[in-house]
Amino acid sequence: MTTLMTTEAGRVTPEAEAGCAADCYPLKNVGEFLSEYSAWLLGCGATCIRLERNVRRMAAALGCGVVMTILPRHVHLTVFKPDHSESYTCIADTREIPISFNINTRLSRLSWALADGKIDFTEARERFAGIISSPPEDRRLVLLLASLANGAFCRLFGGDWAAVGVVVAATMAGFYIRQLLCGRKMDLRVVFIICAFVSSVIGASASLFGLGTTPEIAVGTSVLYLVPGIPFLNSFSDLLAGHYICAFCRMTHAVILTCCLSLGLCGGLLLMDIGMF
Amino acid sequence: MLSEFFQDALFAAIAAIGFAAISNPPRRAYLYCAIIAAAGHSARFLLMRPEVMGLHIILATAAASLLVGVLAVLFSPVVKAPAETCLFPSLLPMIPGIYAYRTVGALVMCLYRSGEECFRHYFYLFASNGLTCAFILLAMVVGATIPIFLLKKISFQATR
Repeated sequence: MTTLMTTEAGRVTPEAEAGCAADCYPLKNVGEFLSEYSAWLLGCGATCIRLERNVRRMAAALGCGVVMTILPRHVHLTVFKPDHSESYTCIADTREIPISFNINTRLSRLSWALADGKIDFTEARERFAGIISSPPEDRRLVLLLASLANGAFCRLFGGDWAAVGVVVAATMAGFYIRQLLCGRKMDLRVVFIICAFVSSVIGASASLFGLGTTPEIAVGTSVLYLVPGIPFLNSFSDLLAGHYICAFCRMTHAVILTCCLSLGLCGGLLLMDIGMF
Repeated sequence: MLSEFFQDALFAAIAAIGFAAISNPPRRAYLYCAIIAAAGHSARFLLMRPEVMGLHIILATAAASLLVGVLAVLFSPVVKAPAETCLFPSLLPMIPGIYAYRTVGALVMCLYRSGEECFRHYFYLFASNGLTCAFILLAMVVGATIPIFLLKKISFQATR
């Protein structure tokens, strides 16, 4: 949704004061591009401070000022001419995409390429379209690496090789279900409950069949691939940058996912009647 | 101890590569994620050993996370990716998974078993593991995030 309105306060950077590119490119196009850019960058897991810097950098290169409000599900952005004679406001929905540092990296590089004058606005838009349509990593490779990672995690916690094998199998099953259900656009919280339940049930097989000497570590590690580490870390980064609303929302999201994980784990433990201590 | 040290570094590196894959980084970042995670986790391992420094897990985690944060920022211009790309997957092997599991487990037992003595025992385990887990997480995020803000010029110009 886009709205035209007059601007309120907003700091205009020296580059913007000196620039004249806003005269070359319609403010509407610049606003819509920056708005889409912000929605994708936030959606792929960037921190608020990075988003602000990237957008300001590009707006300065395009000869206009920008003020933005970053909310968990929306980005509200106003671009304006340095003399405040014209402004354009856009509100974009944050893209609901899986975390992707590849897109984050390429969008950050795009902002520098535009700021350093290596590309013009038209080319930046073309590159942006290419970046957002780039395919994700091979799903089978991710499944394999995530399973091995959780197995290594089990070993780090002192699990024996039997426990490592069980954890790899539990992760593989749980992560496969996660990919399948996320592909069908199921609610992430429900996905977390189901995956944690399945992984913990398989993880508990070490205890059930007497495999190895560290069944407790096997069942405890089997669900750790679901820990929402990046939202937790992003929320703290936003907190340090003074983006308290976003920090709080990201923390809440991470806590809710952790609760769903715990719920699935509890269900699995109760079903398998695992004595804990 | 040397073999344990190298095992720790190796498994942390494998874990970092796998967790990195989940967050879909550029391919060139995998190697650096593995190196940083191995350095960070083995540093924590050493700091916790009684014959080296014998630090408590929370302090050792804070120090190791700081190292991970600094390395991630310093490597980011080499990887040509934001510092977070290597930082987050490298930090994840230090997540206090077993403490978290014991916290949840103790909570289940609090609800599952009856009797005041049983409840007190499991509530103690719930609180003790929960607090340790929470403070390790806090030490991790504080230690790892601060270098990004202290070394802003490198952190935010890495993709230039």
